[in-house]
Amino acid sequence: MNFKGTLPTLILEALRHEPTHGYRIAQQIKERSQGVLDFKEGTLYPALHKLENEGLVKSHTSIENGRPRRYYRITENGRKALSKDRAHWREVSQAVTIILGEA
Amino acid sequence: MTRLDSWLEQATRRLSRDSAAQVRIEIQAHYESAREAAMSGGATADDADQQAIAALGDARTANCQYRKVLLTASEARILRQGNWEARAICSRVWLKWTLVALPVAALIAATVFSLMGAVEITRILLVPALGIGLLFAVPMFPVYTPSRSRIYRAVKWLAIIAMLALAFGSDALKWSWLLISCLWVFFQIERTRASIRRKLQVADWPKQLYL
Repeated sequence: MNFKGTLPTLILEALRHEPTHGYRIAQQIKERSQGVLDFKEGTLYPALHKLENEGLVKSHTSIENGRPRRYYRITENGRKALSKDRAHWREVSQAVTIILGEA
Repeated sequence: MTRLDSWLEQATRRLSRDSAAQVRIEIQAHYESAREAAMSGGATADDADQQAIAALGDARTANCQYRKVLLTASEARILRQGNWEARAICSRVWLKWTLVALPVAALIAATVFSLMGAVEITRILLVPALGIGLLFAVPMFPVYTPSRSRIYRAVKWLAIIAMLALAFGSDALKWSWLLISCLWVFFQIERTRASIRRKLQVADWPKQLYL
């Protein structure tokens, strides 16, 4: 399913509880959506870098199983953006449900 | 060349060396994890490799997205050149003070000539005063916060237009081809700087990005 535009919000949600790396974020999104939200994993990292440029996540490199890995964690601004996005999404999905329910 | 190498080559095309290295580290680690997961699920090494690459998606699409958020080779070059120019000026105290003194002297002279009624000489003196003042002297003052820098950039463009109007006067239309060519260079530099500003966090901005 195409979920263009919502990927940054899903990434922030995946980072809400603990810092993690890109692969685990991708797996989390797929698992939590029960495979409905499928996306090309190569596009996850540009979205992560964009969030980092905007100061919504921070990253650091650490070594895992002998290979360097970049870990991301959500910032305070990221948490604020996530709660704003969540409220906005509720409004939009409610509106769409009302419209589709009427059809 | 492995499948991953050719994917990475396409995905990192025209990115700066640092950005490309960053992408390589991330994608390589991602690919290894995906490959291990596929193999632990019973896939052969070749199938696991194929699945991991397929999951990454189209390398050209990724490259397009990377170029929007990471520094490209040309942007990195502009940053390096800008840093070199700034160091060249700031490391020579006499040059620094000459660049501050010149526009001030030109402004004083312009005021004197204007009081004497010499309009043409005033006009000629105001052009270098504005040009040197804006491009070399103002950057030595504390304009290095995002909000001050926005104001400086707006004033800079107004002053450039004023400078060109002063220089060409009523002949501006006749020389429009030259004006457009000159402004086009400034516009391109400004566009590249705006793109770099979007890609770097404010804390990482070098001084030239504020200008």
